[in-house]
Amino acid sequence: MLKVEGVTKYYGNFMAVDNLSFTVKPGEIFGLLGVNGAGKTTTFRMIMGLLEPTSGEITLNDKPIDYSVTDNIGFLTEERSLLTKMTVREQCLFYGTLKGMSKEKILSRLDELLLKFDIPEYKDRKIKELSKGNQQKVQFITAIINEPKLLILDEPFAGLDPFNVESFKKEIVEMAKKGSIIIFSSHRMEHVELFCKKLVVLVRGKSVLSGYLKDIKAQYRQKNIFIKGDVTKEELEKIAGVVEVIEKADEFEVKIEDKKVAPKVFKVISNKNTEKFVVEEPSLNEIFVAKVGESYEK
Amino acid sequence: MRSKLNYLISVSLNRKIKTKWFLIANIILAIVIIGVFNIDSIISFFGGDFNEKTKIYVIDNTAKAYDVFKEQLETSEKILNNDESNLKFEVINYDKTIEDVKKLIEEDPKHIALVFAKNIDKVVDVTLISESYIDTIDYQLISSAVNNTKMVIAIQESNISMEEIRKIYSPVEINRIYLDETKKSEEENMEMIMTSVFPTLILPFFMLTIFLVQMIGAEVNDEKTTRGMEIIISNVSPKTHFFAKAIAGNLFVIIQGALLFSFGAIGLLIRKFVGGNTIVDGLGSEVGRIINKILESGIGDQLIYIIPLTIILMFLTFIAYSLLAGIFASMTTNIEDFQQLQTPIMLISLAGYYLSMMAGMFEGAVFIKVLSFVPLISAILVPSLLVLNQIGVMEVFISIIIMIGFNYLLIKYGLKIYKVGILNYSSKDLWKKMFKAIKN
Repeated sequence: MLKVEGVTKYYGNFMAVDNLSFTVKPGEIFGLLGVNGAGKTTTFRMIMGLLEPTSGEITLNDKPIDYSVTDNIGFLTEERSLLTKMTVREQCLFYGTLKGMSKEKILSRLDELLLKFDIPEYKDRKIKELSKGNQQKVQFITAIINEPKLLILDEPFAGLDPFNVESFKKEIVEMAKKGSIIIFSSHRMEHVELFCKKLVVLVRGKSVLSGYLKDIKAQYRQKNIFIKGDVTKEELEKIAGVVEVIEKADEFEVKIEDKKVAPKVFKVISNKNTEKFVVEEPSLNEIFVAKVGESYEK
Repeated sequence: MRSKLNYLISVSLNRKIKTKWFLIANIILAIVIIGVFNIDSIISFFGGDFNEKTKIYVIDNTAKAYDVFKEQLETSEKILNNDESNLKFEVINYDKTIEDVKKLIEEDPKHIALVFAKNIDKVVDVTLISESYIDTIDYQLISSAVNNTKMVIAIQESNISMEEIRKIYSPVEINRIYLDETKKSEEENMEMIMTSVFPTLILPFFMLTIFLVQMIGAEVNDEKTTRGMEIIISNVSPKTHFFAKAIAGNLFVIIQGALLFSFGAIGLLIRKFVGGNTIVDGLGSEVGRIINKILESGIGDQLIYIIPLTIILMFLTFIAYSLLAGIFASMTTNIEDFQQLQTPIMLISLAGYYLSMMAGMFEGAVFIKVLSFVPLISAILVPSLLVLNQIGVMEVFISIIIMIGFNYLLIKYGLKIYKVGILNYSSKDLWKKMFKAIKN
C-alpha cells in the first residue's frame, strides 16, 4: 500500500504542497487532480523520491521509497521524457536496464507491448521520427515495461486520440486487476471519472476534496435532472430549489440544490407530455469546478 | 547483470563513439595528421618539389664575377638559414646569349638570370632577368651577393690577394657570453617547446579538454532538455549518474587520445615506407639537436619519473575538467546556457595553453612557476617547464598532490550541487543556487 502522510513541501518560502495525506491500496486507481500549479507534479516527484518532503512521510508497503524499491515503480512524466535520438528499441533497453531488467526480458516485453499498442513497425525507428501520439505510446511502454507494482502517470492521455485513450485505459485497468497501485493526474475529468475509484483534488497544494469517487458524488448535494417533454425553461426556473436550467438540443438539464427538489420538478412536468425524466449524480467535472472555485473564493 | 553504473558508462560512451560524427571527425583527423607527416611526399606526388632549387644563370662578361658571386650567395644563404646542407639557389655559369637565357626562363619561370658586365667606368654592372617579381627575401639575398661581388672584384683589381679578400669577407663570428650560465635564448626555448611538447602533449591535451567538456555538457543537457533525466534519476542516484558521466568522459578522452597518437604513428609508418625515412630523418639534424639540448639540461636522468608523473597529472586534470563540466551542466537546462557557464573553464584552459606555449619567453619567472601548481593549468604548463628545466620531479609531484586535493573538493562539493542542479529546470540565479547547495 502507498501511504502519503502529512506531506508538506516548501520551495524557499513558497508552499507547493500542504499537509497532504492519502492512501492507495494494491489494485486501486487513484486520481490526483488539480489545476496547473496545484502541486500534482511536486507530489509525484516526492513519491518517486526525486524530491525530499519538507515534512511528512511517504511509504510503499511500510518502507520509505528509495533506490532499493524503484525497480518496481513505473513513472510517466507530463513532458516527453524520451531521448529522441535513440530508437524505440534502444530507449526501452536503456530505461528497462535502469529498472534492473535483463536484455532478453526487455526485448520480449517490448515486442508484446508494441503489438498491443499496434506499433510493432516502429521498433527500430528513431523516436524523433514518430508522431506525438506514437511518442506518448512509447513513453507509456517504457513506464510499464517492468510491470511495476506502483505506476505513476502524470497526464498520460496528453496528445492521444480517443481510440488510443481507450487502449491506454484498458491496459491501466488490466494492471490494476493484477494488483498494481496506480496514481495518475489528468485535466480531463471524464477520463478520471471512467475508471478512478479514489481521488484527491488539490488547490494551491491543499487537498480540498478527497475520498472514494462514489462517496464524493453521494455527498455532493447538487443533482442534475434531464427532462425531455412539453415544458418551457421559464416553468422550470420558477420551481424553488432549481439552481440553473440549461437548454440543450432536445432536452433540458436542470440543476437542483438537493435531491429533495426532484419531486417538486416531477410534479410540474407530470401533467405534461414527458418522454424523459432522469435524476443523475453531478459529473466529476462539475464537482471539481465547484470545489476549485470555492477554494479560490476563500 | 552489469551494475547500473557500468551500464550508464557504456551507454554514454556508445552515444559518443557509435555515431557517424565521431567516425567522420576521426577520418578527417586521420587524414590531416597522416597528411602533415607526409606533406612533402603529397606535394611531390602532385608535381611539387621541396628540393628543387632555383637556378641562377650567370652570364659573366667580366670573367671574374661568377666564382665570386657563387661564393658570396652561398655564404649569405648559410648565414640566413643557419643551415649548410639545404641551399635554395643553384648558381650556373651560362655561356650563351641573353636571348637564349630569356627563352630558358620563359620555359621555366621559377629561374633567374644575372648578367655581369662592366660599364664605362669599369665598374661591375648587373642585369637581373626574371619572369615576374621575385620574393623580397630572395631579392635581398641576391642583391647583397651582387654588391659583395662588385666589392670583391674591385679589391682584386687593387692587387689584394685572394686570401686577404676571404678574410675581409668572412662572416664575423659573434661569441656570446651569458652571465647566467643556465640562460638560453628565448628563441631556443620557444623552439624546444614548439618542436617537442607542443605537438605531442600540449595541443592534444588542449583539444581533448575541449572534447571532454563539450561531451559531458551536451549529454547532460540532452537528458535534461528531454526530461529523460527524471526517469534516469528516479532509477539511479545523482551520485551514480555524476560518476558515470565523468568516467565515460574520461574513457572517451583516452580512446580519442589513443586514436590521435595512432594516426601519428600511422603517418610515421607511411612516411617510412613511402619516403624511405622517418620524420626524424626528414627533419634532419633539428630534432636530434633539440633532444640533445633537453638531455644536456640534465632532465634525461629524471625522465623515468617525469613521464609517468606528467601522465598522472594530465589524467587527474582530465578528471577535474569532467567533474567541473558535469557540475556546470547539471545547473543548466540547455546547451546554450551551458556554453555560457563553461566559459570560465574554457578561459582557464586557454590561458594555460598560451602560457605553456610562451613559457620560454618568461624563463625563470616566479609567476609562471607558481601557475604550474594551479589546478587545471598545471598539467598543460608542466611539460613546457620540464623541457626548459625550470621545474623537476618534486614540483610535478606537488602539482599532483594539489590536483588530488582539488578533485576531492570537486567531488565533495560538486556532488551537493549536482544533486540540487540535476532536476533544476530554471536558469534563474544559477550561481546563487550553487553556493546555497554547497552550504547545505
